[in-house]
Amino acid sequence: MSYRTFYAVAVIVCLVVGGLLLGLGSGMALQAQRAPATVVATGRAVAAAEAFLATLDQAKRAKAHIDLNAKTRTVWSNLPTGVAMQVGATERNGLKLGDMTPVQEKAALALVASTLSADGFRKAMAIVDADQFLETRSAPTRSATTRTRFGRAEYYVAILGKPSAVDPWMIQFGGHHLAINVTLAARQNVLAPTHTGTQPATYTVDGKTIRPLGTENDKAFALINALSAEQQKQAILGFEVRNLVLGPGNDGKTIQPEGIRAAGFTTAQRAMLVDLVREWVGILGDEAAAAKMNEIQANLPDTYFAWAGSTTNGKGAYFRIQGPTVLIEYAPQGAADANTDHIHTIYRDPTNDYADKVTRQ
Amino acid sequence: MKTIAAGMLGLLLALPTPGMAHRLDEYLQTTRLSLARDRIDLEIDVTPGVMIARDIVSHLDMDADRRISPREAEAYGKTVLQDVTLDLDGHAVLLTMTRVEVPTAEEIIDGLGTIRIRAAAPISSLAPGRRALVFRNNHRPDGSVYLANALVPTDPGIDVTAQTRDPRQREIRIDYQVQPASGAALAWILALAGALATPILLRSRGHRLKQHDPRGPRSRTRAHQT
Repeated sequence: MSYRTFYAVAVIVCLVVGGLLLGLGSGMALQAQRAPATVVATGRAVAAAEAFLATLDQAKRAKAHIDLNAKTRTVWSNLPTGVAMQVGATERNGLKLGDMTPVQEKAALALVASTLSADGFRKAMAIVDADQFLETRSAPTRSATTRTRFGRAEYYVAILGKPSAVDPWMIQFGGHHLAINVTLAARQNVLAPTHTGTQPATYTVDGKTIRPLGTENDKAFALINALSAEQQKQAILGFEVRNLVLGPGNDGKTIQPEGIRAAGFTTAQRAMLVDLVREWVGILGDEAAAAKMNEIQANLPDTYFAWAGSTTNGKGAYFRIQGPTVLIEYAPQGAADANTDHIHTIYRDPTNDYADKVTRQ
Repeated sequence: MKTIAAGMLGLLLALPTPGMAHRLDEYLQTTRLSLARDRIDLEIDVTPGVMIARDIVSHLDMDADRRISPREAEAYGKTVLQDVTLDLDGHAVLLTMTRVEVPTAEEIIDGLGTIRIRAAAPISSLAPGRRALVFRNNHRPDGSVYLANALVPTDPGIDVTAQTRDPRQREIRIDYQVQPASGAALAWILALAGALATPILLRSRGHRLKQHDPRGPRSRTRAHQT
């Protein structure tokens, strides 16, 4: 081997080894940076999962605690109990609230709450309460043969995989109009994909008006009306959109972005867009949500905002936010102008649904 | 729960029935189109609302035994496909059904069942340049609601440049740009690099032989000749 060849090989080896060490070093630094907050959150979830499982007998535990794999994690839906889900399964994962004792239900909901923010948990339970309205209304007139069921008793809690501070596992909480999917992996909590929806969109409790998805609606209308006429022209699609494009059952797909790019937004408009995105990302516990929001903000110039329907709040309108690491859709069901009482939404991360980015490493 | 029950009374009469939890008289037809150099794939999901579901089931369940057989499902899928058209650069493209999934008759009647049809259109490998794909859905236009979208191509050499739809999304035109295939580009680069490197390598080899062959160039030539 000549000196020249030896020198060239040595340089290449140094570069490769140096690069690896640099990558490892920055990875370790990143982990060290993340560790304190996320370890606490994951530890909280592990303790809550063990506490919930401890309340169950063997038969119930077998339902509540199942394997985590590529198939089980996709079993969730917007549909009520008794209907085959988009992925073909006829029953959700886990144990439903209606089959739990009060002690078990308390522990189950504590588990769900352990990974969510206070606002996120409130939102989830408001969706559950809205569905109880449907059940109360439907029960007296329901045909004896129909298997479709609504209401609080039909919301399921499942633990997929072994609760661990290190290895990936998952918590699912879902029923009609709700599918919270939290994957805890390598000290990160990932909310995507998650579905929220509601019918009715407004109800009252003790004289207080509850709108489970009202804030999302209001912030979106505020944003579209904060855009200039020229910006609205780019944001508003020239056609109706009357449902989610990538709703439940559409994992792993990415549609072509449309609408206006946030690169041209003013500072105030960007802040409004970020605030709107937080309505979904912020369902997750504060620490994990903050990390995700930082990532979305970094990608904001490549994020699109699309709108279909009226720009007058109170009427129905579809909107979509799509960036490199986020997809959010909000779709009133039925004729958009007439129906604002039945909403479906979806939150996805095209690069990291079910924490795939982390678990692949 | 009690407080919620108390608060809900005023609302109950205004609420829809459970069957109304989803679409009533609409036929939702969602299409996603996937573009590749040598094929176009279609995913068509159709969901009949509860008020039209019995009509759809009567078309599906041809022998009226309340069970939808694979043959009946296939026949319905083909019916839907016969009602859609796909044109690439102004030429009709033939679609072939690759799969159909049908829920139970009961689920469809409840307005909660989705029929999933998958189809593919093989095309001769596209040369680089601008392309225009037009998809039109003529299936049950009365009372139907449509969604039509292009998926982001998995081939980085295909760029969707525009999507244009009619107000109901019955028709979508997808304009896209096909770049030279990355494999072909790589082959060109390698060939060019090879062509440039060959004289240098030969020269370097000749230089080494001069330096290290104790027998010199002549003796080496002889060795090759034997």
